Amino acid sequence: MAQPTADLEEYRDRARAWLAERLEPRRLDDPAGADPAHWTQERDQRERAIQRILFDGGYAGIAWPKEYGGQGLTAAHQQAFDEAARGFRVAEFGILGRTTWGICVPTMLAHASPAFLTRHVPRVLAGEELWVQFFSEPEAGSDLAGVRTRATRDGDRWILRGSKVWSSGAYYADYGLCLARTNWDVPKHRGLTWFAVKVDQPGIEVKPLRQLNDRSEFCQEFFDDVELTDDDVIGEVDHGWTVARTMLVMERQVGARTRMRPVAGGRRPAADLVSLARQAGREHDPRVQDLIARAHILDVVQAELSTRVQELAAAGGRDAASLACYPKLAAGTGTPARALIGIEIGGGPGLTWPGGASPPAGVSDYLGARAQSIAGGTNEMMRNVISERVLGLPREPSYDTDRPFSEVVRRAAEWGRPEGTRGKAG
Amino acid sequence: MRCPILDLPLSDDLDILRAATLRFTQREWPIEKLRAAADGGPAIEAGYVQRAAELGWFAALAPEEDGGGSISGSGLVDAAVVAVERGRSLQPGPFVPMNVVVAALAREGSPAQRAAVLPGLMAGTTVATWAAAGSAGTWGAGEAIRWARAPGGYALAGTACLVQDADRADYFLITAGASDGISQFLVPAQMPGLCVRPVGSIDLSRSFCEVQLTDVIVPDDALLGQPGTAAAAAAEHELQVACVLTVAETIGAMEQDFQLALQYARDRIAFGRPIGSFQAVKHLLADTSLLLESSRTLCDAAARAVSNGDAGPELASVAKAYVGDSAIQLGQNCFQVFSGIGFTWEHDHHLYLRRLTMDAALYGDPAWHRTRLARFYGLPDASISDGDGHGAANR
Repeated sequence: MAQPTADLEEYRDRARAWLAERLEPRRLDDPAGADPAHWTQERDQRERAIQRILFDGGYAGIAWPKEYGGQGLTAAHQQAFDEAARGFRVAEFGILGRTTWGICVPTMLAHASPAFLTRHVPRVLAGEELWVQFFSEPEAGSDLAGVRTRATRDGDRWILRGSKVWSSGAYYADYGLCLARTNWDVPKHRGLTWFAVKVDQPGIEVKPLRQLNDRSEFCQEFFDDVELTDDDVIGEVDHGWTVARTMLVMERQVGARTRMRPVAGGRRPAADLVSLARQAGREHDPRVQDLIARAHILDVVQAELSTRVQELAAAGGRDAASLACYPKLAAGTGTPARALIGIEIGGGPGLTWPGGASPPAGVSDYLGARAQSIAGGTNEMMRNVISERVLGLPREPSYDTDRPFSEVVRRAAEWGRPEGTRGKAG
Repeated sequence: MRCPILDLPLSDDLDILRAATLRFTQREWPIEKLRAAADGGPAIEAGYVQRAAELGWFAALAPEEDGGGSISGSGLVDAAVVAVERGRSLQPGPFVPMNVVVAALAREGSPAQRAAVLPGLMAGTTVATWAAAGSAGTWGAGEAIRWARAPGGYALAGTACLVQDADRADYFLITAGASDGISQFLVPAQMPGLCVRPVGSIDLSRSFCEVQLTDVIVPDDALLGQPGTAAAAAAEHELQVACVLTVAETIGAMEQDFQLALQYARDRIAFGRPIGSFQAVKHLLADTSLLLESSRTLCDAAARAVSNGDAGPELASVAKAYVGDSAIQLGQNCFQVFSGIGFTWEHDHHLYLRRLTMDAALYGDPAWHRTRLARFYGLPDASISDGDGHGAANR
C-alpha cells in the first residue's frame, strides 16, 4: 500500500510547520531516560502536557485506528511525522514510552475488546496512561507460562494475589499489563489470563530495585488481594498464552529497534572506545586497535541484522517472530563481549575514578551489559527458538506441558528424590 | 536442502542466474570430480572456464560498451550471487581473480588494453589473475613486488604469494610499489624472468602458486592507469571487489557445511534420541546459524557499499574480518557435531573446512583487516613506531 511521495512530503511539511509553532526545538543536553534521578513529578507533568498537545493536534497514534483516537493513517505517515519531529522536543517517556507504545498497546489492539480499547487507547494517546509490563515473577522468568500470580474468581470480581518483578519503570506507570493464573487444574499454557491493573490502588506496593550498577529501573510489585473486574480482562479468560505470544513478538521487535548503535559510513565508529583508548594513552597499541575493530564489527553486525529482520518482517511471508531472535541473540552475546573490550582497554586505571565522581560509562556498561543476554528473552531462549522454530530441530522432552499446573509444581519440588519418598513431607 | 532464513529474496532475473549457476556447478564439477582431482585425477579443463563464461561469470564488472553489464544494476551484486553458488559446491577456477582483473581493466584500462584482453576474459578463453600478496601474507598494495623505471619500460622484481591459478594464467595483474608510489601493470605470462611455482595448500578445491619476478622488463604499454594516487585507489577498489566476492564464496561454503551438520544432527541417534534434540547440540547449532546469518547480512551490506562507493573500504574490511573468523568457527562447530565421521576423508566436511580456512586468509586475514579498520577511527598507524616502544607489530 505505497503512499504517493508527494502526499507524504506534504504531510511531513505540514507537521513540521505545526510542530515549529507549538513545541520547543530539541536540546542536546536534555536529560532523557527514566532513572528516578531524572523522573520527577515535574518531568512527568511536562511530558504528559507535551503529549496532550500532540494528541489535540491530531499527531498522536498516527497509524492507529480512528475509532480509538488514532488517525488511521499508514506507517509511512508515522515515519514522515517522526522525521519531521526529530528536531523538536516531543514527549519522552523513557522506558515506559517504549513498553506502552511499542508493546502494550499493539498487543491490546490485537486482542482486547472494542469496549476495552475505547476506554484505554485514547487515554494513552492523550498522555494520561503509561503502561508497564507485569510479566516476570520471582519464580518465573524464561518459563513465562509458569507464572504463579493468581487471579481468583469471587462473584463478579477477580482477586489478584502474588508478585511481579523486573517491571521496568513501574514507579511512574498508570497501568500494568498483568499475566495471572486463573486455572491451576489445566496444563500451564491453558490457565492464563491477562488483566489491566491500575497501579495506584489499595493492595499494590511498587518497590524500585537497586541494581548492581547503582541504577534503579526495575521494580518489584506485591499484589495483596487486589480487586479486578471482567472489564479488565484482555483477550479470553484462560487463553492468555495467545496474547502472550503476540506480546513476546512485539517485545523482540521493539528491542531490535532500540538497540541500534550508529555505525558505518562517515559517522564515528566505536567512538566511545576510541576516546577511552585516548584517555588511557593506549591509542598506539596495536592490540587495543584490534579490540576496537572487534567492537566496531560487533556493532555493524547488530545493526545489519536488525535492519534485515525488520525488512523481512515488513515484507511478510516468513516467521518474523522467530527471525527476531537473531538480532536479539547477537545483542545478547555481543553486548557483554563489547563491554568487556571496554574494560580491557581501560585496564586497571579504567576501574577507578576521582573520589566523589560518578563511575565512567565503561564501568556501568560492563556491569549492566548482561541485561541484553537476559532481559526480553535470555540467550538460551533465543537459541531454543532458533534451533526449534527456524532450524527445525526436535524439541526437548517436556515435563510440564500436558499435566495440570498444580501437579507440575508439586512434582518439580520432588525432582530427583528417590521413587519411594515422593509425596511425603520433608 | 536450501531454506531461506535471513537471505533476501532475489529478483527474478538474479534468481535465473543463480539457478543456472547451480545447474552448471552440479553438471560440470560435482564434488566427486573434486575428490578425483584431489587424488591425482584430471583437473578442470579449459572448457570449464569457457562454459562458465557463457553464464556471464566474468562479464558483470565489465563496462557495457565493451560487452559487459549487470542484471541488477550492480555488477558486484550479480557476481556475488554467482560466488555464493560457487562456494556451495566448492567450484574450482579463477573466479575471484578474473573478476578483479576485469574490474581493474574496466576502471583503469586504456582502450587498447581493454580491446586486447577484455573480450577473451569475458569469453573465458583468456585467463588472468592478480599477483598482490606479500610473502608474509600481507595484502597492502605494492608490498610484494617493486617497480622502477628502466630503459624501454619498467623493471619489476619481487615475489607474490597466494596467486590463484597462476599456472594457467595468460595475464597477470601486478600491483607493485616503489618510493614513488603504487603502479599497476598488466603483464603477459610469457615474460623472461617471470617464474610460476605451484604450491601445495590446505585447500583441495583451488590451485595456488608463488609468482617470482626477477628483473622482468615490461614495455610502457603494460602500465595500467596512472602511477601514484590513482593506482593506489585502483588497487584499493580491487581489494574491495576481491573481499566481497571471496566473502560471498565463503557464505555458500558455510551454508553447505552447516546444512550437512544440521541434517546429521537430525539423523544421528544416541541415547535413544536424535542428537539434534539435545540442548547442548541445539544451542551450538543456533549459535552457528547466527554466525552464518550475520555473515550473510554483512556480505550483502559490503556488496552494496562497494557498489555505491559509500563506506566501501570500511564495510569490505568489516565483512572480510568477521566472515573469515565466523567461517572458521562454523567449520569447527560443524566438525564437533559430525564428531568421528568428520575425521574421515570420505566425508565432505573437511573439503569445506579447508576451503573456508583458505578463504579467511585470502585478500587479507581477519587480523590484517582489523588493523586496516583502525584508520577509520582516527587512530594513529600502529606500524609507525613513535620511538618509545609503541606499535611495532603491524602485520
